[in-house]
Amino acid sequence: MSVTPEKKAPGVRVSGLSVVYRTSAGELPAISGIDLDLVPGTITGVVGESGSGKSTLALSLLNAVQPPGRISAGSVEIDGLGDVVKLRGEELRKARGRHIGYVFQAAQNSLNPLKTVGKQLLDLGRSHDVADLRGLVREAKDLLGRMGMDGARVLDSHQHELSGGMRQRVGIMLALVLNAHLVVLDEPTTALDMITQATILRIVREVHEERGLTTLVITHDLGVVAEVADRLAVMYGGQVVEQGPTMEVLGAPRHPYTQGLLRAIPRLVGDIDEATALPGRPPTLGTIPERGCVFRDRCVLRMDVCETEKPPVVSLGASIALCHAVEAAADRDGRADIPRAGGLQEVVGAQGATGVHEVRGEQP
Amino acid sequence: MFARRLAGHLARGLVMILVVTTVSFFVIRSVPGDPMAARYEKLVEQGMSPVAAQRAVEVLYGFAPTGGLWQQYVDYMSGLLRLDLGQSLMVPGVGVSTVLFSAAKWTVLPVLAGTLLSFLVGVVMGVYAAIRRSGRLGDVLAISGSLLHGVPQYVLALLLGAVFTTLLPILPTSGTADIMFEPGFNAGYIGSLIEYATLPVLTYALASYGGWILAMKSSVVTVLGDDFILAAELRGIKRGIVFRYVARNAILPLFTILALSLGMLFGGAIFIERIFNYPGLGLMLIDGINNRDYALMGGAFLLITVAIIVANIVADLFYTVIDPRVRSGEGAA
Repeated sequence: MSVTPEKKAPGVRVSGLSVVYRTSAGELPAISGIDLDLVPGTITGVVGESGSGKSTLALSLLNAVQPPGRISAGSVEIDGLGDVVKLRGEELRKARGRHIGYVFQAAQNSLNPLKTVGKQLLDLGRSHDVADLRGLVREAKDLLGRMGMDGARVLDSHQHELSGGMRQRVGIMLALVLNAHLVVLDEPTTALDMITQATILRIVREVHEERGLTTLVITHDLGVVAEVADRLAVMYGGQVVEQGPTMEVLGAPRHPYTQGLLRAIPRLVGDIDEATALPGRPPTLGTIPERGCVFRDRCVLRMDVCETEKPPVVSLGASIALCHAVEAAADRDGRADIPRAGGLQEVVGAQGATGVHEVRGEQP
Repeated sequence: MFARRLAGHLARGLVMILVVTTVSFFVIRSVPGDPMAARYEKLVEQGMSPVAAQRAVEVLYGFAPTGGLWQQYVDYMSGLLRLDLGQSLMVPGVGVSTVLFSAAKWTVLPVLAGTLLSFLVGVVMGVYAAIRRSGRLGDVLAISGSLLHGVPQYVLALLLGAVFTTLLPILPTSGTADIMFEPGFNAGYIGSLIEYATLPVLTYALASYGGWILAMKSSVVTVLGDDFILAAELRGIKRGIVFRYVARNAILPLFTILALSLGMLFGGAIFIERIFNYPGLGLMLIDGINNRDYALMGGAFLLITVAIIVANIVADLFYTVIDPRVRSGEGAA
């Protein structure tokens, strides 16, 4: 590493975060009342289907929800920045890029097609008042080189001259080159082939560890999460329905949705019919129920109380789930520790740096 | 790479010119009414002998067509090879190229000025219309653009002509310059030229302004929705730089339209010239058609064709300069 990070990995505390979108049918919630902590120095994975609100959550971390959406409640506290939701104008612009790096989905074209990567790098440097532009270019070449590319050549290229995997690495470089220590990756491997996927994930993991980052990975692919994430949050209908250490959530899922997701994954070996799809469809912006549990229409454990009451937060071990059925089961077993207080902090304590290697060890 | 591209364009352009010239040669000559024959018959009627009448016609026009239509076609094409467009009938004894050239200066400069003026204003206003598209300013700009785009050139010309002859008689509405000034490079004459050109230029600019603002608005809106703009904002790129990203990407498709409309320089202002009695190519073409001046018509069509082909080539080569995707020849959309 040519740069010794003077900043430490920041912690992020999302609390009570709600985002609404203005539609002809009024303001509809895309995410509602999300509580999520990103522990300094960890990789958190957020999984969910299309429309579950995971990209909206990612954009909220930069206070960049696009109109007609807006953050209607809650806060996003980032160490060293304060509440991002309250940032405006130049303060907000300078936080983006400098403190928070954002990596776009590979299939998206996140580069200006008319300018070379190098020129866009210089635009980035000038926007953040980098005095030593030569140093910035050196740093960029170094990063690209460490990701297995010819830095000088890439900086001299236009977007259309780069492959999907190369573009994605350029995106990662641009997110890191200003030494941001909170990195948000939105679907970093979507639309990439398997080999490139594996390469990108390895790079994410390596860079994360070397630079001491706090990383959030948004994906719909449980495999990706199992590969890189220390902690996992499962989103459904605009809510985080279960979260905890990756190993624990995937190894012993509590929420019926997480269980259904895992059952739906086809295995490499064995009968394809062992994978059973979740019946029904995920809710859209207009069909998210206002009361009760968002998942009840597709839930096998559905009870009467799910219609009317918001699911409680149930802590079990190091993970938490939002579910009436989980609560009922826990009550029967007599080991529920409701209310939620302290749940996440315990997770932090229990989650060692080795957690991820254990998860990796289980991968075929 | 560049040379091969150019060579291909030139070859295609020559084929196009050959086709257009051939078709227009025969179409023009199938229009009823032969001015030389009419003159000849008139002279014979007046009591001249056929031979004397034929000679008189030849003296008048300075040449006599020989042979059948095919023979004339071959003569015409071989003349073209020597850049000889033939003799005008309307202005006897004068070459078509001379007639065209003297009229062209009254068309090219005003239309060029009108096009560039409307392009610049329309593009800038289009950007505002796109950025403020959910506000009142955006609505006003878009609606005014649609209205102007929908009104035909000649209606605008008549309207402006009417206003500036009756309500607000501050601008001349007919001709090219005041006759009290000596034509030449002197302040009075040039000032008068500009004064007389104002209404034709303004009409042309207004008539094409609507198209520019609408095209630029939709282009900017498209680019604003592109991922790389959001990506730039999420990297904290300064607003001014993001704006340049938007502008440069949005204006690209408009250059094609600009090049094509510059290709229409030589044929695009017939109504305006007619209404403001401005002696440009459009007016001359109308006179040429009324007088069945075959060579002049053919020459004018040829000029328009060549201009459009050249404009297309220029537009394409220009793209290789401004758009890196075209430059490397693997243009991703």
